[in-house]
Amino acid sequence: MSSMAARETNPNFMNGVPELLILRLLKQEEMYGYEIVQAIRERTDAVIAVGEGVVYPVLHGLERDGALKSRRKTVNGRSRIYYSVTAAGRRRLADLSQAWTSLAGAIQKMLTGGQYAKVIP
Amino acid sequence: MPRSFHELRERLLRAGVAPRHVRRYLAELSDHLADLTAEEERTGRGRADAEAAALARLGGVDELAKAMTERRQLQSWCARAPWAMFSVAPLLFLAGAYFVACSILWSGWKIFLPGADNPFGAHIGGPVYGIENIYFQTGRMIYFGAPVLVGWGLALMAARQRLKAVWPAAGLVLVAWMGATARVHAIRPAAHGAGGQVSMSFFTLGPSAQQSMIGFLLILSLAVLPYVIWRLRTRFFST
Repeated sequence: MSSMAARETNPNFMNGVPELLILRLLKQEEMYGYEIVQAIRERTDAVIAVGEGVVYPVLHGLERDGALKSRRKTVNGRSRIYYSVTAAGRRRLADLSQAWTSLAGAIQKMLTGGQYAKVIP
Repeated sequence: MPRSFHELRERLLRAGVAPRHVRRYLAELSDHLADLTAEEERTGRGRADAEAAALARLGGVDELAKAMTERRQLQSWCARAPWAMFSVAPLLFLAGAYFVACSILWSGWKIFLPGADNPFGAHIGGPVYGIENIYFQTGRMIYFGAPVLVGWGLALMAARQRLKAVWPAAGLVLVAWMGATARVHAIRPAAHGAGGQVSMSFFTLGPSAQQSMIGFLLILSLAVLPYVIWRLRTRFFST
């Protein structure tokens, strides 16, 4: 049962990378969609390029789950929807960060010849 | 708004995404597109080139639609549980409206006609005027108008979600049947000083089957009208 749960967790987590990045960015300050995409591109040196329009379903989903909240704000005469992290979002960020760190550590260990070195050709 | 956004909206609604999420998604995409176009123009591109580049960066309709439709939590209740939205919910709404109408009838009987055997016009020794009349007519209006209003609500939901006719048709038939077979019973028990009782029965034809069938067809025709108009409009006048 536990191995089954573990198997289900990883694909979900890989799908959760945009969520992780967005939650991390919004933890610092509230942003609107365009700003989020630019910030991800800049801070990851364009290594991670999120599909520009695709960021909104992620934001809507996180808001629906209670991880984000939004408010409409007019800046320079244009009405924008700004997103910020809720307490539930901070908890989700902590969980995702921990999962990502352990996964990245495991992959790093494998790549550098740890206990799974024989697998690498 | 580019033409591709209209296609995106129709695809999302047909896929069951809640209209409020679709509306907001398109508004945010429009804003994002404007920002991208401005960014591309700052690099020296002409307006048309900048718009084309911005649209490409934003993503294709397939990609944008898939990102939204694969998130189940953004689906409307009409898509997630059509049986509930088009059968249980309208019947509950209608039952609620009838409860309000019966409450008005019962309280009006108690307040304005305390001595009458029942609150219906023919048995109370003459017509009622003024505030009493307004009070009872409000109840009547709710009673007779509720099935049609609930039917219009169903039609509106179906039109907003671009639904096929099956579920709204089933819902409208149910509402019309409940409305046509609804009967109000008002009795005052024989015991001296006992209060009157108002109750309702539904879904059985009773002695006046013909009257119920006429009522059914009338309610159904009135309730279905906006939905039929919308279907004809989208079929013949959509661009």
